[in-house]
Amino acid sequence: MGLIVRIAEEAGIPTILVSSARDITESVKPPRAVFVDFPLGHQTGKPFDRALQTSIIKDAFAALKSISEPGTIIDLPYKWTEGDDSWEDEVLQPRQA
Amino acid sequence: MSPIDYMERTRAFFEARGFPPYRWVVNESAPWTTFKKPLESCRVALLSSGGVYHKDQTPFNPDRDDLTFREIPRDVDVKELRIQHNNYDHRDADQDVNCVFPIERFRELEVEGYIGELAPTSYTLMGRIFRLTALRTELAPQIVQKLKEEQVDVLFAVPA
Repeated sequence: MGLIVRIAEEAGIPTILVSSARDITESVKPPRAVFVDFPLGHQTGKPFDRALQTSIIKDAFAALKSISEPGTIIDLPYKWTEGDDSWEDEVLQPRQA
Repeated sequence: MSPIDYMERTRAFFEARGFPPYRWVVNESAPWTTFKKPLESCRVALLSSGGVYHKDQTPFNPDRDDLTFREIPRDVDVKELRIQHNNYDHRDADQDVNCVFPIERFRELEVEGYIGELAPTSYTLMGRIFRLTALRTELAPQIVQKLKEEQVDVLFAVPA
């Protein structure tokens, strides 16, 4: 995905990327990114939480406007659960179809 | 707690299934196009690698190396969208696709005047593509050409 946005950017289309996998984004280096430290599958928010989803999207657009150094990642302040990071122990146990 | 090491975990995930090690590209620099058009007059397209498709379209290969993409029209009924992807937990996104493909929020932002408009077409794919040359020379240029044809000003990407 990072590769595709890089090719779009090379073709003259500004891009912004919303990542929940910071290490991958650091490596692939899209032109502009925000990092949301949520479990994969919730990059743009929790289900049916319209306010949260809209807030993340608007923060991403703010980053689109503010980033001036290619390859910048802005860490957004959202917490999946306040004061509890136990979700991190449960991720990457993909549900097999 | 520091962010999760997805690269190491994903390597282990594929290794355990007998696949070759997944290798991400390491780039030292990034390309750049200055963003200067006012957002409220921009046409914005969404790009998701979360495996989202319309129920009348062919599902993705949930495993890996699916080099196809789906075109999702701006006025799609989100209840008719489905997800095919084996590498993240999409139970929440199955209930509300806006978790990974926030097309309803973009329609609202258009009404609000926050963005100019949602483009006629948005694009979805599966990710987990090992064939990087094909990704670069076939898949990506096809999508970029369509973005150009529809005069998209901003690409909003949500990788899965």
